[in-house]
Order: sequence, then C-alpha cells, then structure tokens
Amino acid sequence: MMQGPTGPLRDIATTVPVLGIGAVSKRFGATTVLDNCSLDIAEGEIVTLLGPSGCGKTTLLRCIAGFWDADGGSISIDGQDMAPVPVNRRPVGVVFQSYALFPHMTVAQNVGYALRMAGRPKAEAAKTVASALETVSLSGFEDRYPAQLSGGQQQRVAIARVLVMEPRVLLLDEPFNALDAKLRATMQVELRQLIKTLGLTSIFVTHDQEEALTMSDRIAVMRAGRIEQVAGPDEIFDRPATAYVADFIGTSNFWDAEAAGGSVALPDGQCAKTELVGRVRVMARPHNLRLGPPGNGVWTGTVAFHRNIGPLIEYHVETASGDTIQVAAMRQDRARPIADRAAVSIVVIDPAGCSIFPAP
Amino acid sequence: MTDAVFTPRIDAPSFGERLADALLSGRGIWPAVPAIIVLMVVAVIPFVILLSLGFSDIEIARGDIVSQTFSLEHLTKALTDPLYWITFQRSLSLAMSTTVLCVLFGYPVAYLFLTGGKWTKRLILILTIAPLLTSGIVRTYAWLVILGGRGVVNQTLMGLGLIDQPLRIMNTHWAVLIGMVQIHLPVMILPLIAVMSRHDRQIVEAAENLGASRLGTLRTVILPLSVPGIGTGAALVFTLSYTTFVVPQLLGGGNYLNAATMIYEQVVFSLEWSKGSVSSLLLMVSCLVVLVAIALITNRFTRWTKGREA
Repeated sequence: MMQGPTGPLRDIATTVPVLGIGAVSKRFGATTVLDNCSLDIAEGEIVTLLGPSGCGKTTLLRCIAGFWDADGGSISIDGQDMAPVPVNRRPVGVVFQSYALFPHMTVAQNVGYALRMAGRPKAEAAKTVASALETVSLSGFEDRYPAQLSGGQQQRVAIARVLVMEPRVLLLDEPFNALDAKLRATMQVELRQLIKTLGLTSIFVTHDQEEALTMSDRIAVMRAGRIEQVAGPDEIFDRPATAYVADFIGTSNFWDAEAAGGSVALPDGQCAKTELVGRVRVMARPHNLRLGPPGNGVWTGTVAFHRNIGPLIEYHVETASGDTIQVAAMRQDRARPIADRAAVSIVVIDPAGCSIFPAP
Repeated sequence: MTDAVFTPRIDAPSFGERLADALLSGRGIWPAVPAIIVLMVVAVIPFVILLSLGFSDIEIARGDIVSQTFSLEHLTKALTDPLYWITFQRSLSLAMSTTVLCVLFGYPVAYLFLTGGKWTKRLILILTIAPLLTSGIVRTYAWLVILGGRGVVNQTLMGLGLIDQPLRIMNTHWAVLIGMVQIHLPVMILPLIAVMSRHDRQIVEAAENLGASRLGTLRTVILPLSVPGIGTGAALVFTLSYTTFVVPQLLGGGNYLNAATMIYEQVVFSLEWSKGSVSSLLLMVSCLVVLVAIALITNRFTRWTKGREA
C-alpha cells in the first residue's frame, strides 16, 4: 500500500522535497550543537543520521519534531515552513528510544491515542487501530498493558501508535537500542520492509553503522554539529568523502604517503590515481587487501593475531614500518588459517578501491 | 616438632556460630530486631493498655489506677452520645476538606516541578521542605500573627480601605482550615513530586507528538499516572489532619472541639481515662476505614500497575 499524496499535492511533492532542512543551527548557551545543517529528503526515502553521541543527530531530530526550536535556518514539510507549527500539529511521528508507551493504557488505547486526541469517531478509530495492529503483527494483544509485552512487541506498539496518525515524516530515535543483538538484526530488516511498503518518508537516528547501512537509502554522517557527507550506503562505504567518514564507517587501514604527478605509490609497489599533490592519507578496507607468501612482495610483516568473524577471518599484521594492518579473507573450507607469527606479504587487490585524502 | 596441618572443618556450625553469622550477614529477620523492639515498646504495649482502659471501669486515686473491672459501658455511652457524633463529624469534615484543598493546591505545584527548569525545581523543593524544618507549633503560632485582629491580613485590608472593622478570622473554623492546609501541604506535594518524576519525560513528549494539547496531555497522561501519588499524599494528609491537635487548639481558640481536642480534655482535665481511651479507639478505627476507602479508590484508578506481575 503506497501512502503518497494524491491529487494536486502529488505535483508539489515531485518538485518539493517532503522534508526540507535548510541551514539549521542550534545553540545551547555557548555550545553550537547544530551548525548549518542542510538536507532534503524525497518522498518515501529513508535517511539515517549517523554519528557518535554528541554529534547533534538527536538535536536535529528534536528540532524536526518541534520539541526544540532551531536558532537559525528553516525546516519545512511539503514546502510548508514548520517554525510556526506547534509540536502537536506537526505531521511528524516519533518513535522514541525508550518507546515512551503510556504505561496506564492498553495496547489498543496506546495505538488509538492520536485518533482520540484528533476527536475521531470511536467506531472508525477502532477499525484503524485494528488494522495498524495487524500491520505490525500484534493482533490479539489489544488488551495487554505495555509492561506485559517484550521489548520487541513494545517497539511494534510504538510504531503502530505513530502509523495511525498517518505522518508525512517518520522519525526514529535509536529505535533498536533496547533490543538484544539477534532481535535487533531481524527487526531492522522487518522495519525497513514495513516502512518501504507503507512508503513512509523516514529519518533514523543511530550511532550504529551496521544499522545505518542496513536501514537507509541514504546516510548523513554527522560530526560535531555538521553533516560531513550524505550518500547512499555503498558510496559512503566505498568512496567516503573524508577520512572521518572512512574511519567511522567500517574497518579501515590508514597510512601516510606522498602524491605526485597524478598518482600515489602504494606500499606494495602498485600505484593509485589521485588529483592531490603532496602529503596524503591513504585508506584501504581490509577486504581490499590479501596476504601472500613473504617472498612475493615488498610490503611484508608478521601476523600478530587473527580473529574469526563468521565467514571472514580478520588478520592483524604488523608491518616492518611498525603499522598494524587489518586484512580480511574469506574462510575457505578445510583450509587452515595462516598461523600467528607467520611472515607474510600484503597486496592491494584493487588500487582504485583505495581512498586518498589530504593529510590532516 | 610437627607441622600444623590445616584441616577444613566438616562438622555443622554451633548455634552460637550460626547466630553470629546471621547477625553479621543481615539475613532473616535479625536486622529488623531493634525496630521490632522499639515498636513493641512505643506502639503495641500502649495500644494494649488503651484497649484495656477503654473496656473497663477504673477508679483513680492520686494519679494511679486503684481498681479496674471489665465494662462495655464507655463504648455504648460514646456511641449513643450525640456530642461524640458531632465532634467526630467535625473532625472528619475538617480532615476531608483539608485533604481536598491540599490536592487542589499541591497538584499545580507538583506539575510546575515536573515541567519547570532546574531552578524552578530547586525553588519548589526548598519552599516545600523548609517549613518542615520548624515545629508545627511554631508554624501555627505564625498564623496568629497573620490572621489576628491586628494581624497582617486585617492591617492590609483596612489599609486598602476594603473593610472598616477588623475581620474576625482567628478562633473560627476558617482559621483552623487555613492553618491545616498550610501545615499539611508539603506532605501532599512531596509524594506527588516523587511519583510524577518517576515517569519517563519522553512520555509527555510522545503525547504531544501524537497531537495532544497541554491540557490533553495533563488530562490523559500526567494525571492518570500521578494517581498513586495523590493516593499516598491524601492518605498521609488525612491521617495527620484527622488526628491533629495543635492547629485546632491554637487557631480555634481553645473552644474548637474536634476528636483530638476532646480526647485531650477527657484525659487531662476530667481525668476520664476510660472515656479518653474509647474516644482514641474510635478515632483510630474510623481513620482506618477512611484509609481503606482511599486505598480502594486509588487501586480502582491504577489497575494498570498490576500488569507488571502478570
């Protein structure tokens, strides 16, 4: 079921982003928490605000929801400025980190709350509540209280509760934090599918890069109140715009090098193209490196230890120059992993896959 | 010389060892023993004496009981005496209006505490707790200064030209009620604050996000969640004001008769200890009845808390 605007609204939606964040700033006293953040989100898109705690991602979310007012810039939904719209009139639904279910209300009362506040007729509201509970597979739980539900069920109630208000924008504040690792992975996939089916324009806030890569159409990596890069998960991972993004997402190996004449020499003797000149930082992902016998290359070291992570084996190699380089290899049937303390050589598989940043 | 060999003991510990272990480890009822002893001395024994005095005829000579025989006379007399009914009714209505007024005045303060900033919270806590640091008698005397014929209230009203003659507030029902509410307000506000701040702040934000106005949030979320606090506060304020002695005695001018002042007269002035004991027992029992009623009403509105056990 697609829930996009119909009629004349659709024409607007094709030209105007559903959510427009324009140069938003927010200060608390002398501290700047949000610094000139801009981001446009299209119909049905899932965007993640990713960053460490204190980077301003939750502040931005609270400004969009209307809990806090931005000090500068504008937030608009379907082209309409949200500044004069109070928190209880914004077409925005929030799924809170703690779920914030009403403990004194049953599941049905929780889910029907927005309809009750909007003064909808009871019979109509009951139907909407029933279908929302069906959407999140919680039919039959109507008369339970939140305290009688598991964490995963509570989360689904929190989602159903905002779905009934048919928000234009769905905001999710670290919604998986309270779940254990296994349930988290399942819920991430389920929730993404649900949001996509409903066609809801959504913003996720998280500090968990895996969650961001799983959930998002686009990721906005935030750092100290600024948006550092906005791009799809693949681009963020494969072509990070800055060393910060490369470091924050995934595992990365960094080393310093000298670039000249449109390329930079890699430690294994190959060359990678770059337009930068002078001192640069080179980054290679562990899966873009492979280990070979020691005599085979010029970039040599010894295996300090290896770590078994499911289908991959992660080798930590100490190079002759004193760096520690992580190399990931697919596990192979019956083949033994390379022993610790063994001498090896390191080879870059695809020089074009390395990222090159200006030296700090 | 032989080396001392360490052999672990395998025999059961003696009673003394077990006692020492229980005392030191704080297991079982041992940690509560001092409190139990104190309660026996200051509550259970006096209560037994009260019971025995209330159900007997006694003869007193030089401040001592010289004879005591079982009798239900004082109880039946009390229950058929209209003065008792009037006095208890006055106590009850005074305590109930005090409780209701404390809820009405205390709730907005607690709400302000919940929604206010850091300094609002601090100010409210200081203003609520500070009066508890002085004795109730001192606070009651302060009302004499405020409400008296030449007190602050009358001086102000006359200075403004609103009245010609000083109002007679002191020694009336109103003076007692005003004093009662002021004295007992902190006891209402503190449990309210405790219960209201126990809930996640995000619950209020969730209500607003789902379209509730300030008033709607108060009515549908904050108020229902604070019912346990209202119940606790009401039970405390009712118990204290139903059995209060100081405020009616001082602000009622000595002729305001409620249950406590009546007991005082019976025991101290008329030396009718049996009468006083029966009155005390009636006061205690009627107070318990109201407390049970408050608990039942509170439970009726907090069924959701039972879900935790399921």
